[in-house]
Amino acid sequence: MDITFMLEILPQFLSVLPITLMIIVVSSLIGFLLSILVAAIRIKKVKLLNPLMGMYISFTRSTPILLQLFLIYYGLPVVLALMGIHINDINATTASIITLIIYNGAYMSEVIRPAYLAVERGQHEAADSLGFSSFKKLTRIIIPQVAPIALPGLGNAIIYLIHDTSLVFAIGVVDIMGFANIIISSNYGMNQIEIYLTIAIIYWMISMVSEQIIKYLEKRKQRLPYNGTVEEAA
Amino acid sequence: MMFQLDVLIENLFGILKVVPQTLLLAVIILILSLFMGGCLALIQRKKIPIISSLISVMQSFLRGTPNVVLLYLGYYTLPYIVQYIVSLVGIDFNPHHLHPVITVIVVFSISFSVFQSETIRGSMHSVDHGQIEAAHSLGYSFFQTLRKVVVPQALVEALPDIMNSFLVIIKVLSLAYLISVVDIFGQAKLLGAYNFSYIEAFVAAALVYWALCSFLTLLINKFELRLRKGF
Repeated sequence: MDITFMLEILPQFLSVLPITLMIIVVSSLIGFLLSILVAAIRIKKVKLLNPLMGMYISFTRSTPILLQLFLIYYGLPVVLALMGIHINDINATTASIITLIIYNGAYMSEVIRPAYLAVERGQHEAADSLGFSSFKKLTRIIIPQVAPIALPGLGNAIIYLIHDTSLVFAIGVVDIMGFANIIISSNYGMNQIEIYLTIAIIYWMISMVSEQIIKYLEKRKQRLPYNGTVEEAA
Repeated sequence: MMFQLDVLIENLFGILKVVPQTLLLAVIILILSLFMGGCLALIQRKKIPIISSLISVMQSFLRGTPNVVLLYLGYYTLPYIVQYIVSLVGIDFNPHHLHPVITVIVVFSISFSVFQSETIRGSMHSVDHGQIEAAHSLGYSFFQTLRKVVVPQALVEALPDIMNSFLVIIKVLSLAYLISVVDIFGQAKLLGAYNFSYIEAFVAAALVYWALCSFLTLLINKFELRLRKGF
């Protein structure tokens, strides 16, 4: 064990951290928006699209994320060529972001859908009878009740996403793991233990920080509805 | 570059050949992780002072680090750990002779034991405390109570989660190709490189995974329904 070496490479690893963080933020935000769309289609049972979304969810849930990365990386240019758009190569970072968006769109929709369905039918009816518009009903009644139920699941999804970003090096993105390979080869294959231990600690820290943020959000969200609208409505 | 159906079918059969060994590996990891998870849950429940807090730090570490990182860490450290342990007994062991399959099994068993311990703890909570007291009053020992009263009831509660983690393990094994252990995904990569037809190979692998997981999910649902009826 060489602690000084670990301290030496830590800043180098932190310098590639923005790529990982960018992938996490972009794919979680767009994935979340996609998941709302998917959940809405499944809740409203839109014809044709509903079974399609069911297949999409079952596919993304039953194949490893690594396989999905490779499928998108190699497959997307071919699919695009069939549609008449010719690109020779797809950027590895773009491919990994697309993959993670697709994966999270399915994963998060399975969190949101049950959370939405957990809100009692009576709440919808009460809002309707009080003359709420459908937008107002959603923002004032439904979302405040859905959020606390969905938040732990969404938090888990973010933690899994952080873990899954560690796989994007497999298609050639130079993130923390990709950088590790570069350092190892420039070190003639020495000090692997220290390098991977450093990476493990970095990921541990990221996970712990995000867990704390999620916990904080959960506490805030829990304060809101039950002392406010819901109690009064009940 | 066109998509060739005959190559896809050929790859499909090539991949099906490694399905049994992937499943076997997953079963081994599942059983080992359940065993270790059970031990962890028991220790946490007994609240043994120093060991308990050590375990919670370890749990946080294992939960916070991705499986790839753990796999690489295990790949580089495990041979030396084994060498050290074996040398205590006085046997000379070359660290480079440790088969990567062992590494895969050890690393994933440890990393999943954390999740299993949570499942087991939750399911043990679901067993009414009165049952344990009743067993004690009938003169059952600790292990008898565990075996005859707690485990049969907790198992029904934990089964869906355990089966779910089985599916997760099957998927996580796709990482094993990084340290040259061939599973479904690894086979797809090999076949893709061999025929120079990556897309067909990956589509075939995806189909195999999809079919496997759908089949297992169906099986679990049937089995769970039957178990619940029993009570």
